[in-house]
Amino acid sequence: MKKVMGMVLVVGLLAATLLSGCGNNKQNGTDSGNKGEEDSKVKIRFASWDNAEDLDTQQKLVDDFNASQDNIEVSLEAYGDDYDTKISAGMGSKDAPDVMYMWNYPAYHEGLESLDSYIDKEGSDFKKNYYDALWAYNSIDDSVYGIPVGFTTHCLFYNKDLFDQAGIEYPTADWTWDDLKAAAAAITEKCDGAKGFSYQIKADPYDYEMYLWSNGSGYIDADGNLEGSINSDKSVEVFEFFQEMQKEGIAVATEGGGTDEMRSAKTAMYIYGSWSIGTLKEDGLNFGVVEIPAFASSGQDSVSILSSSGLSISKDSKHKEAAWEFVKYWTGEELNKARIEYELPVLNSVVDSEKLMDDEYKAPFYSMLEQSSGYTPTSFVIDQWSVLGDNLELSFERIFNPSTLEDVKTVLDEVAAE
Amino acid sequence: MKMSKKTKTVLYILLGIMTLYFLAPFIYMFFSTFKTEAEAVAYPPRFFPEKWLWTNYVDAWRSQEFGTFLWNSIIVTVCTTAGQIIACSLTAYGFARYQFKGKNVIFIILLSTMMIPWDVTMIPQYMEFQMLNWINTLKPLIIPALFGSAYYVFLMRQFLMGVPKDFEEAARIDGANAFQIYYKIFLPILKPQLILVGVLNMLTVWNDYLGPLIFLQDRSKFTLALGLASFKGVHNTQIIPMLCITVVMIIPPILVFIFAQKYIVEGTSGAIK
Amino acid sequence: MKKKQLIKKATPYLFISPWVIGFLLFTAGPLLLSLIMSFFNWPIIGDSSFIGMGNYVEMFTQDSQFWKSMVLTLKYAAIFVPLNLGIALFLAMLITQPIRGVKVFRTIFYLPAVVSGVAISILWKWILNGDYGILNYLLSLIGIEGPKWLVDPAWALFAVILASAFGVGTMMLIFYTDIKNIPIELYEAASLDGASPARQFFSITLPIITPTILFNVITSMVSAFQQLTLVMLLTGGGPLKSTYFYGMFVYDNAFKHRRLGYASANAWIMFIIILLLTSLVFKSSSAWVYYGTEVKTAKGGKKK
Repeated sequence: MKKVMGMVLVVGLLAATLLSGCGNNKQNGTDSGNKGEEDSKVKIRFASWDNAEDLDTQQKLVDDFNASQDNIEVSLEAYGDDYDTKISAGMGSKDAPDVMYMWNYPAYHEGLESLDSYIDKEGSDFKKNYYDALWAYNSIDDSVYGIPVGFTTHCLFYNKDLFDQAGIEYPTADWTWDDLKAAAAAITEKCDGAKGFSYQIKADPYDYEMYLWSNGSGYIDADGNLEGSINSDKSVEVFEFFQEMQKEGIAVATEGGGTDEMRSAKTAMYIYGSWSIGTLKEDGLNFGVVEIPAFASSGQDSVSILSSSGLSISKDSKHKEAAWEFVKYWTGEELNKARIEYELPVLNSVVDSEKLMDDEYKAPFYSMLEQSSGYTPTSFVIDQWSVLGDNLELSFERIFNPSTLEDVKTVLDEVAAE
Repeated sequence: MKMSKKTKTVLYILLGIMTLYFLAPFIYMFFSTFKTEAEAVAYPPRFFPEKWLWTNYVDAWRSQEFGTFLWNSIIVTVCTTAGQIIACSLTAYGFARYQFKGKNVIFIILLSTMMIPWDVTMIPQYMEFQMLNWINTLKPLIIPALFGSAYYVFLMRQFLMGVPKDFEEAARIDGANAFQIYYKIFLPILKPQLILVGVLNMLTVWNDYLGPLIFLQDRSKFTLALGLASFKGVHNTQIIPMLCITVVMIIPPILVFIFAQKYIVEGTSGAIK
Repeated sequence: MKKKQLIKKATPYLFISPWVIGFLLFTAGPLLLSLIMSFFNWPIIGDSSFIGMGNYVEMFTQDSQFWKSMVLTLKYAAIFVPLNLGIALFLAMLITQPIRGVKVFRTIFYLPAVVSGVAISILWKWILNGDYGILNYLLSLIGIEGPKWLVDPAWALFAVILASAFGVGTMMLIFYTDIKNIPIELYEAASLDGASPARQFFSITLPIITPTILFNVITSMVSAFQQLTLVMLLTGGGPLKSTYFYGMFVYDNAFKHRRLGYASANAWIMFIIILLLTSLVFKSSSAWVYYGTEVKTAKGGKKK
């Protein structure tokens, strides 16, 4: 027995050494790419936040690029939900990927390379092909830090079957929130087990600002003050409107983003970005997309927040020229077309050539884009957005959580005071 | 030890309740792996899938390079388990059966290493591994473990301290040196603990995802746990592939556990005699 | 003669050398660096500046969340540790009984501990969903309207405890290993003397496994304080920060607010607290833990 034990131990130790040795050799081979063995090819790391679903498509596109290039080789790294942690850790140790998807410029811009000079070299037409509004979302202090690669605005999704069941007309681009409220009430009444409208309990403060904009107010005023802006009557009006719908039982506040409730037909309407189009289509749901309703008393069209993602280059990258080549490829026309199913193209030329304005699902997002230019999110303006955003999120929760449903004015006054 | 019928019944009821708590989520999960995504989030929840989509498993496995992930997981698990068993038993033995200067101080330091929240040493560790050029290799996941971790040292030390002093005395009288005493007398007594540590380590490493997340970059180096986490996207979670892979990932540890049970159960009475 | 003395003295150090070397190589450096960082204003990206005790002062005087999370985590630990210990011991005793099919039960109870933490969190999140989760559905079948577990601040903590008890298998296994290895002769002798099963448990089993109890108390205390993954994936610290454990507080400070210096200070404070509590437990252990090495056969007196 002891002999066997001894053998097991010795074998284990040997195996350990051997295997880690083997591991070493394998890795040494691939890692030394940058260090001179393969002088010809420059290696670029490209990080994306897509999850496994879209990975195959992405990898193929990367492979195509590599095949077309003599000098550059790109490796795709996908991190899904933990993207931020990974990028932070990378930047913190000055080892961020060369090219990365980026949306949170205020937080990360210090680790990014300014792209102004690269853009200038491409000539004046380069910028024009992109939707104008997007540049503001990819810059800090007038310097561009990311080339727009995708975007979404938010639109109203609605379940056609439930509308048919309740016998109501589908929403149109001219709707006001009062129209929506009426429809939601009717559906809740006539369709068993379904609510007319849903929105998130933990509303993302970044997104939520669009409702305030739609009603003519915002989180902050022109001087950056919360007081008088976030707790202005117009702001309070917005929150109370949503809260009312919950109190009247015609809307439900969801734990998640609301897509699951949409998929299981528990809600007839919700507002979201274009991210769920693919999923809902796959489910076979009979749905439609339309612009966000306007606030009747505001006298203006509804406004949406822009979630724009761009491709950035790390400030610490050792191969910025090569990285730029890849960025151009990934944000170019071909790729805009290739990713059309899950990322709305940012190039005017592609929208035209693919006739996206005729696509019933995609067109509303572009209309919202056009309605929404000229607004800058507070997160881009305020330094301490991470703290403010946290406070805002907590206050929204207090207002929208069905267990609390606190008085709106009180909560907003508290936020303004901090 | 005979038990009355009443005791037995009570026992069975208790077991039944606990089983429900522990097993029900998994049964539900298992059945759900055969559903479509829409079915999985349907309400009221359906227990059985409408159609048994066995292909879900195939799709899930093929959606990423799980074959490579499996291999990486195996390498890391086997190496670290062997290393931990050896290193921790040696260290624990030193603490448990000897008196030496500084013992308590060093032991306190050992314990305290278990108490540091990882997210803060994470970045300094990343920097250190970067200097060593170990980032994007499996080395940060394997090599530190070869020196033992506090948790298992602590575990084994506790047990070793429970063995009466007479053991060494007898062996020393017979003229054995320190290493022989460790090797021939205590190691066999420690066998159940060694297997226990092996099983525990295997599980921790098998499911560890923070380590691989931080230290690996290339998908070719990913472990299974990291592949699993990739199903969790920013906007939606692909729940079906995730459940499928989870089920697959459970199988090796369970097999190891079942296999190891025999050794853990074996009593020490033989050795003592 | 001298050489032998030297070897004899060096032996224990040789035995513990694997861990010591590993510590010096991989742990000491990063630990020291994180301590140094705690005295700096160290943003993840950008320049750092020395601020002495600034972070610590801020924590204690200006950051109300620090106190809230600390109290919440202590509360959680106070419930989690005894609860899990109790369940683990209870289950361990259950599966050491000579019952039919005990092997199956062993595996069943251990099963959750085998599953990846990520998967467990997603699984429970799905089960506990207030609207379409299966727990509320089952409750509704017997006429109870289940609360929105993950949304109602009053219930969220309970939901987290419920999900965390799921991992009790590991502690159970550790107890089980210990109990199973108690020489059966002890029980037989006691039976002969007429001791009831309960008496046997309290007089034989419990004292002998006290070293393991100590181990489990300390390790579960530490993991309760460090709880992060489960709560991050299950509730994100909400609703309304009702499950915003200290671990999440540190994580957010590091990665959301990108203040590594401040987060390091947070971590070191938590470390000191855990250290203090652990030493208290250890100090008390001399009163209730029984080590076999203290047993002397013929000679009198206790040797520690």
